[in-house]
Amino acid sequence: MSELTGKQRVQKLFKREPIDTMPCFSGQGAVVVQAIEKMGTRFAKIHTDAALMAESAITSARLFNMDGVVIPYDMATVAEAMGRGISLYEKADGIIYPTVPNKWKNLDEIDIPENYMSQGRLPMVDEAFKIIKEKAPDLAVGAWVLGPFTLAGQIMELDILLKGLKKNKDKTEAFLEQVTKVTIDMCKHYQDLGVDFISVREMGSGTDLLSPRMWKTLIGPNLKKVFDSITRVPSVNHICGSTDMIIEMMHECGADALSVDQKNNAAETRKKLGNDVLIFGNFDPYKTLTQLEDMGEVEAAIKKCIDDGQDAVWPGCDIWPDIRQENMETYVKTVRKYGKNPSPAVGRI
Amino acid sequence: MSTHEEILAKLIEAVVEYEEDDCADAAQEALDAGMDPMVAVLDGLAAGMERVGVLFDTNEYFVPEVLMCADALYKGLDILRPHIKLDADIPKASVVIGSIQGDVHDIGKNLVKMMFDVAGWDVHDLGRDVPLETFVEKQLDVKSDVLAMSAMMTTTMMGMKKVIAMVKEKNPDCLIMLGGAPVTRDVANLFGADGYAESAGNAVSEGIKMIGRLREYQKGEIK
Repeated sequence: MSELTGKQRVQKLFKREPIDTMPCFSGQGAVVVQAIEKMGTRFAKIHTDAALMAESAITSARLFNMDGVVIPYDMATVAEAMGRGISLYEKADGIIYPTVPNKWKNLDEIDIPENYMSQGRLPMVDEAFKIIKEKAPDLAVGAWVLGPFTLAGQIMELDILLKGLKKNKDKTEAFLEQVTKVTIDMCKHYQDLGVDFISVREMGSGTDLLSPRMWKTLIGPNLKKVFDSITRVPSVNHICGSTDMIIEMMHECGADALSVDQKNNAAETRKKLGNDVLIFGNFDPYKTLTQLEDMGEVEAAIKKCIDDGQDAVWPGCDIWPDIRQENMETYVKTVRKYGKNPSPAVGRI
Repeated sequence: MSTHEEILAKLIEAVVEYEEDDCADAAQEALDAGMDPMVAVLDGLAAGMERVGVLFDTNEYFVPEVLMCADALYKGLDILRPHIKLDADIPKASVVIGSIQGDVHDIGKNLVKMMFDVAGWDVHDLGRDVPLETFVEKQLDVKSDVLAMSAMMTTTMMGMKKVIAMVKEKNPDCLIMLGGAPVTRDVANLFGADGYAESAGNAVSEGIKMIGRLREYQKGEIK
């Protein structure tokens, strides 16, 4: 049997069908400076131009033999489309991701426009998806959206939102329901575009910030609604930060796979959830790909993820674009080397 | 009329139970009763925040509760602070604080700022999304004892390294504190910083522990 393409490998992984080897891909940003340099452009330019966004994603994947791509790169696209503005840092040195400058300051100010889907950079991101699908049909194409709580924190001040969960519960809950509809609409839209998977990143909801009880009543139910709406493509429930206390509740939200970061006790999580659940993670991307100088340590960090029972070795967060080339190569090589054996939820051909 | 001990207990409880009005009332009561406002701040408000730190470390309180406790603390502090008499012989310590460019999160920064406010420092809060050169310009302008920077995301923390190099070159005595989710002790060491807090959560713990140390210092228990 001939080797699978990256897209086929990822698709089969999500269906838990036997594959040739563990795919190497991510649901978090994976654009790297080596690709940007090769294209002769700058980091600040790839967030506003569909062709540059698509090409930087494809080039990043090709340079390191990854199986998939994921766009967009920043968290601000939806908030910007709602009229909250965008800071692009075009004149700043180095790598700074776009951010939202004008968040709503209280719940009474919030007014989500009906036409947000056609505003800001969202149509440009759609175009980038089309280009990638045309130019790289062999790669898995991932979209990601913010979970309702994290999106809420992008469009209104986070401290007001957090305090509102205790002080102004009914109104805050109603706002989160409203934002949940936005996340659901975005997921429907990306399914219409024909992406291969959707990662829902509720990254601001780990127990570094919220109690498990609050997660159960305010985060989980809305996430479940989101995953109920993703029916045509596989979905991933990603939360970074502390997740050990909420991992079972994450699983109950109904995504096809879970993704966690390095704070999660992965071996314990595998024991708690059993071998039928797809789990992705969980290496520290900054340390592993940017800091470590000993490739033996990089290999050990990646191998540990496989030994702990991950079905795909995902970075816990966006890959910091200024990676060391050698580290990235070792990451992919290690996944290929040790990923030939079956993982807990997925067999091998 | 309540005793001083009772008033301190009221301040502590108001902070722990995040009752803003009660905290303001107890602060006013402390002034009316002729208490030393610095004692009310340290043994009332700051002591309350130390208990909040314990509740946070034991997973009874999470960030929403801590933010509300901080609001209550400030209600009391706003009333007490104007009455604190400064010792003219001791120069007031100062800090320049802010979240770095590209970072629009400021929860951790604000909790650390609270610590300096409680301590009665001159606080120069640059806010969030602060350009690198603004940190350097401000620090060199006010010659602060401490420069405190936070970055919530990996994607913004590299800027810290540049600021530290620029400040240390011109003002090597300035202490530098880093905070934010992605900043580990290793990274802080690598960048040449003098202190760090790991996350919004750790900023809470670390900030509150520093308040505890400050109370000991003020009482002469440590030098």
